[in-house]
Amino acid sequence: MNALPEIELRSALEARGISRRQFVKFCSTMVATLALPPRYLHAVVKALDQTTRPVLVWLEFQDCAGNSESMLRSGYPSVGDFVLELLSWEYHELIMAGAGKRAEETLERVMRDHKGEYIAVIEGSIPMAEDGVHCTIGGKTALDIATRVCSNAAINIAVGACAWDGGIVRASPNPTGAVGLAEAVPGIKNLVNLGGCPHNPANTAAVLVHYLTFHDLPALDQYHRPLFAYGDIIHDQCERRAHYDAGRYVEEWGDEGHRKGWCLYKMGCKGPEATYNCPTVRWNEGTSWPVKAGHGCIACASPRFWDTKSPFYDRLPKVPGFGVDVLAEEIGWGGTAAVGIAMLAQVAGNIVRDKTRAKNVRAEENPPPDLNAGGSA
Amino acid sequence: MKKTQRTAGTDASWKNPVPGQVRVYVWEWPVRFSHWVMVITIISLSITGYYMHAPYVVARGRTAYVMGTMRFIHLVSGFAFMAAILIRMYWFLFANRWSRWNQYIPTTRKRLANLVAVGKYYAFMAWSPVRYIGHNPMAGAAYAVVYAMALVEILTGLVLFSQIVGSRVLLFLVGWIPRFIDIQWIREIHFFIMFGFWMFFIHHIYTAILVSVEEENGLMDSIFSGYKFVPKAELLRDPAVEEMRPDGEAAPVTSDLEQEKHTVA
Ligand code: SF4
Ligand code: SF4
Repeated sequence: MNALPEIELRSALEARGISRRQFVKFCSTMVATLALPPRYLHAVVKALDQTTRPVLVWLEFQDCAGNSESMLRSGYPSVGDFVLELLSWEYHELIMAGAGKRAEETLERVMRDHKGEYIAVIEGSIPMAEDGVHCTIGGKTALDIATRVCSNAAINIAVGACAWDGGIVRASPNPTGAVGLAEAVPGIKNLVNLGGCPHNPANTAAVLVHYLTFHDLPALDQYHRPLFAYGDIIHDQCERRAHYDAGRYVEEWGDEGHRKGWCLYKMGCKGPEATYNCPTVRWNEGTSWPVKAGHGCIACASPRFWDTKSPFYDRLPKVPGFGVDVLAEEIGWGGTAAVGIAMLAQVAGNIVRDKTRAKNVRAEENPPPDLNAGGSA
Repeated sequence: MKKTQRTAGTDASWKNPVPGQVRVYVWEWPVRFSHWVMVITIISLSITGYYMHAPYVVARGRTAYVMGTMRFIHLVSGFAFMAAILIRMYWFLFANRWSRWNQYIPTTRKRLANLVAVGKYYAFMAWSPVRYIGHNPMAGAAYAVVYAMALVEILTGLVLFSQIVGSRVLLFLVGWIPRFIDIQWIREIHFFIMFGFWMFFIHHIYTAILVSVEEENGLMDSIFSGYKFVPKAELLRDPAVEEMRPDGEAAPVTSDLEQEKHTVA
């Protein structure tokens, strides 16, 4: 039923100038990313060698194409190179040759010929306001396309924060009523969310490799995110952690501590509340990651992070209803001081009352305490 | 400031009431024990917790471990605080009439009326305080708020703790909370309530001094020893008992058992 000529993976990789050695290295990286024991390497290599290159469609809705870019623009030979060869990419607006009607036909053909077999990758949020008119492709709304494509796919992978939970598009005030894939298409089956802004292509590749090897999804958490990537707190994997525990913090951008690589906690680093494997998988083929490069984590892989984790350069959220620049700390100190002052005023008042009581209260109204039982003021 | 009554008379000491006075065992040991554990842990939790929010100590030396130590103390204090609250919660059900749950949540019309009367005294609209052996309704209600704050603090603290230990049991119990309230807001609430405790702390010390001056019943000593010195008539017509009887019938307020515990001069 596959209308495409079968291309053997090995020769396809060779045509790209990727050696066997690099391929095995890629497989072992994937095994490590998936947190599988090394003995699985053989299984992965074997499975990928024999892969029949399942069909993949990549849909883009309200997005910045950052997740596609993240997939495509990494080092050489990149994770993207392997994934491009492992799967048959039939539809991806950013990289496909066809356009317009031709492109739409391809998508229709995949849905027809590979029903229940293809892999759907979704990037970008789906607008729900005004019947979804804020994002239409070929006259169809994103919601229509997502509903049709995703309900016929073998697995659905939502890449990036927008596809997962709406991302920046959904950030308050969310004029287009954007939501993530799971909310837009309720009851969607075999869903993997790969939050992050952007997703880390190593994780996406690992999910695909896992699927190709075991024909199953990796273990997922309550948000349908794979545990191997979202199970650990950034802070617990951070190389600046020793400085955090010691109490050495960057106080200002470019200060001595910043040059020495101290902890970015005081600069608003959200590492302690973020989960992701960013510090171990890193970016650009494992070169670095933001905190290593000197900027605090903004928890890009956490739920609704644009709203919940801002301000990115302060420890805690701003208190609503107190203007833009008031911190919880200031309100707390203010309240405490107010109580202190009120108590001092009480002391003064009580001294006056004690001094004047005898004059104002007649003897029978101010009886000795033992007769004053029952309490009357 | 007048001298407290129990120092009047020649043979009066803190263990011997003067004639006409009764030495009443008001605060049983779970009350005093949990009180002091709470005092100590709130202080240590505040010092370490504030550091964890805004590290104010400059770490020196290669082997510094300031944040690590602060976090350790915070966790240990947190669990001690939790234990104290739990002991006190349990005791709410079985305590004597001055520290039972109904002294904190006003349930009768009469106690509500007295709550207003106490409020008037604080607002300088009355000359004398309403005299109570245990908590006056206003104080009791204030403590109810404090216990509510403590519960929220414990819950948010456990949520934050569950994030760092990853214990399955803890995550099962509280792991669902961050799905509804983001972890940053949990932090904010946890931090904010600390100031609530500080406000209460100031107010509490002030009123304790005020009432022990005004009522001259050894209130300050009572949180150490458990005993207060009250005029006998006051014990016989205790507002805490009267308020719990809506019919307003003057009933005997001391049982025989209770009598044994109090030393009557
Ligand atoms: S830089 Fe951020 S993630 Fe790293 S130790 Fe400091 S607070 Fe934690
Ligand atoms: S450091 Fe934090 S915000 Fe930055 S990419 Fe990694 S997880 Fe996302």
